[in-house]
Amino acid sequence: MRVLLVEDDPLLGDGVRAGLKLADYAVDWVRDGEAGRLALLDQVYDACVLDLGLPRRDGLSLLKDLRGRGNTTPVLILTARDTSADKVAGLDAGADDYLVKPFDLAELQARLRALIRRASGAASPTLSHAGVVLDPAGKRVSLDGLPVALSAREFVLLHDLLSHKNRIRARAELEESLYAWGEEAESNTVEVYIHHLRKKFGAEFIRTVRGLGYVVGEVG
Amino acid sequence: MIRLRSLRARLLLTVSIATLLVWGAAGVGSYYQALHEAEELMDGQLSQSAKLLMSMVPPDSDNLETENSPVKSFSDNVSHPYEQPLEFRILDRSGRVLLQSSHAPKQVLPTPTDDKPVFADINHDGQPWRMMSIRSPDGRYLVHIAHPIKDRDRVGLEVAGQVALPILLALPLLALLVYVSVRRSLKPLEKLANDVATRSPDNLEILSDPQTLREAQPLVAALNRLLTRLAATLDNERRFTADAAHELRTPLAAVKIQAQVALASIGPGSNLADHQHALRQVLAGADRATRLVEQLLRLARLDPLARLPQSHQIDLAALAASVVSDMQTQAINKQQQLTFIAPASAIGTISVQGDADLLGVALRNLVENALRYTPAAGVIEVCADIDAQQPELSVRDSGPGVDETEAPRLLERFYRGQAVANAADSNGSGLGLAIVQRIAELHAARLIIENRVGGGLEVRLRWL
Repeated sequence: MRVLLVEDDPLLGDGVRAGLKLADYAVDWVRDGEAGRLALLDQVYDACVLDLGLPRRDGLSLLKDLRGRGNTTPVLILTARDTSADKVAGLDAGADDYLVKPFDLAELQARLRALIRRASGAASPTLSHAGVVLDPAGKRVSLDGLPVALSAREFVLLHDLLSHKNRIRARAELEESLYAWGEEAESNTVEVYIHHLRKKFGAEFIRTVRGLGYVVGEVG
Repeated sequence: MIRLRSLRARLLLTVSIATLLVWGAAGVGSYYQALHEAEELMDGQLSQSAKLLMSMVPPDSDNLETENSPVKSFSDNVSHPYEQPLEFRILDRSGRVLLQSSHAPKQVLPTPTDDKPVFADINHDGQPWRMMSIRSPDGRYLVHIAHPIKDRDRVGLEVAGQVALPILLALPLLALLVYVSVRRSLKPLEKLANDVATRSPDNLEILSDPQTLREAQPLVAALNRLLTRLAATLDNERRFTADAAHELRTPLAAVKIQAQVALASIGPGSNLADHQHALRQVLAGADRATRLVEQLLRLARLDPLARLPQSHQIDLAALAASVVSDMQTQAINKQQQLTFIAPASAIGTISVQGDADLLGVALRNLVENALRYTPAAGVIEVCADIDAQQPELSVRDSGPGVDETEAPRLLERFYRGQAVANAADSNGSGLGLAIVQRIAELHAARLIIENRVGGGLEVRLRWL
């Protein structure tokens, strides 16, 4: 899962990035509203964590711009203002959720999980297909009721594919989900992890669509 | 003397005293005027009676003495309140009494030298009498005629009383009128007082009352100006407090999240470097919150000051040199060159009146800003100089300068410029320049922020 973090405060930004990395998100961190706007134009993110008080372009304006372009990326806003007027303004501008500073890391992670889950159209907290059940909060995967051990990268890849069930995911998209900016990706990583997942869940669980990418489920 | 605090009582007292004085003066004046008029009138009567008497004396005066028995006095059986008892004597040239009334006073008045009668107030039977002495036209007789003064005094008193009495009767009515009128006139003032009483920190609405007395309008205007200023000040205070609280939330959020990251990075498969990094960030966050609190306290102490609590002669060059030397370590840590520049003529000659501690704080804030926003290998110069006879401290850097559009906002509290996003160390509180500005105001100096021609920023403290 790839998340854009728009936060000007170096200490808080660093902390949120580290905290999300602990939850195996690939985090891109930008420090002003304009850079945030450009990043959202350029890339597809599973979610965006947006501070409201930003230099160059404030969070609300960024949010309105984003929604104005029809972008539906789930956005969680961080605000220092705890009056309901501020929260209402944020939600009305198109935010999906908000957190008031100072907030809890576990809560931030949980809210992001919920946002991403809802964005994928699933109401249930777990994702499942063909006997495979993935629990994003507990980081557990089971096959026919029996737990399966996965590495962090394998988990992220499986999570991505299950979140986009019945849709083809290009190799580049899967790569972006695995790595944040500046992280070196080896050329055949995605293939390596797909191979590992097929060994654990069966060759037919993830299908290759030649020239396009990979898919879990039926191609519609 | 008791000073009356009540307008009503003061007016009432003033009007009453004035009325009493007028009344008294009118009474006394009329009394004397009436007395004088009555005297003239009665003197005229005396004169007339004397002439009547004289005309009755036969030309041959010698006959008079033969009938030398007192004439019945006119003082008996008086039939009209203003009819005067009258006594007289007729004497010949030698002073012999030719004819007299029964109770005629025995006093002898000096003989009038010519036709002019002589008047005198005398005592007769223990009562004051008016007496007149007149010579007959042929000079043979002298007529002394007298009547009591008592009536004259009575006339004076009666006239005076008639003049003064209406005023005396009008006094209570006047007092009542004054009381009611003052009471009515003060109604708008009472309403104004009630209006003012309803004002509180939550309600600083300006007073609007079209019925306010014209005399009270300057007061209302002054009160409204005060209310407006108060509202603005309170508004600022509230916003500042709210902003301050919110500003503290960000470092607190950072401390919390970093501490949680540090906790989560203990355990199997975790990275010791990440753990230590998070802990160091916790400390940095605490440092930043501390610094923010210090700056807030400094501003809170500076804000209410109307002038410097203490003021001494300060050598600006020495102050700048000491700040530069104090901050060398910080500059070296950031790989920046920090130097002090002053013309030789300026050493020891630029002095201002002020608080050396506060000026030190201001200069340190400016140098810290320069260090923060100038990229590594930058050059920062602190200068003390005299420009156009005015002392000046300036800090020049080789950083990115400020955008024209955001220059006016730099002094806003908690505003952090665009440079903050790019700076490696953006631990600024957003209060530094606000503090410098306040210190400059207290020293009657101006804070001037300008981009340098060759790039970089120059911030000057210029005395006026």
